Amino acid sequence: MTPIEALERARRRSAVWIGVGLLLMAAVYVRALAFTPVEAVQGPAQKIFYIHVPSAWVAFLAFGILGVTSAVYLFLKDPRLDLFAASTAEVGMVFTTAVLVTGPIWGKPIWGTWWTWDARLTLTLFLWFVIVAYLVLRTAVHEPAQRARYSAVLGILGALLVPFIYVSVYLFRTMHPMPVVLRPGKPTLPGEMLATLLFSVAVFTLFFVALLWHRYALARLADARARAEAERADA
Amino acid sequence: MPDNGGFTVAAYIAAAVIYLCYAIYLVRGGRAKG
Repeated sequence: MTPIEALERARRRSAVWIGVGLLLMAAVYVRALAFTPVEAVQGPAQKIFYIHVPSAWVAFLAFGILGVTSAVYLFLKDPRLDLFAASTAEVGMVFTTAVLVTGPIWGKPIWGTWWTWDARLTLTLFLWFVIVAYLVLRTAVHEPAQRARYSAVLGILGALLVPFIYVSVYLFRTMHPMPVVLRPGKPTLPGEMLATLLFSVAVFTLFFVALLWHRYALARLADARARAEAERADA
Repeated sequence: MPDNGGFTVAAYIAAAVIYLCYAIYLVRGGRAKG
């Protein structure tokens, strides 16, 4: 099997897993909306939690991977690491967009406002802009090694925001609630709600892996085809 | 209990649209320049 055939196979397989992820996401919707109790104080709007928090978890995971991959790229200079970093940035940006869309829709009925310039919200928006800048930068620099080096530096800077965003609710006065699961001590969420959240986190993570796998296969395919074409032109 | 189910439906639809559109875009080949 040639490398291009192997990548084509990875592309087809990951597309199937994207389909599985979407089906499981439909199951998350059914469980969260129909089979999870309504929270007494916030009412039905609290159920936005089951898609907002897993999206944020995956976005943080993606940018954590982006930071590590970018740092390793600067040492090893392996172009595959650059393609993988670019793939995590693009997929992570989609999840961050979902966080920034679902958050205000939850904020309006609970806080009485769509948006407030507090630390966590502002930093998350800033991170989104950094990742947009990362993706724009990749289209603006055409020399591959230079593009990879600049992108890696910006990727690391973006990833450094993630722990800061996580602790921002402890460091600043903010309207955003404290963590209810990943916190010092036991989770404060009732059992049924915790089960729905964990199911949702697992499904969103699987969906992210499938999207990332597919995006990386597409990037490797485009790269392999460009190299094959260049070799044919030289011959 | 507050009656704010409309916001829940809106958020779930918005998230579904974002994820579904991106999945379709990617499976159809994306931009894929790396």
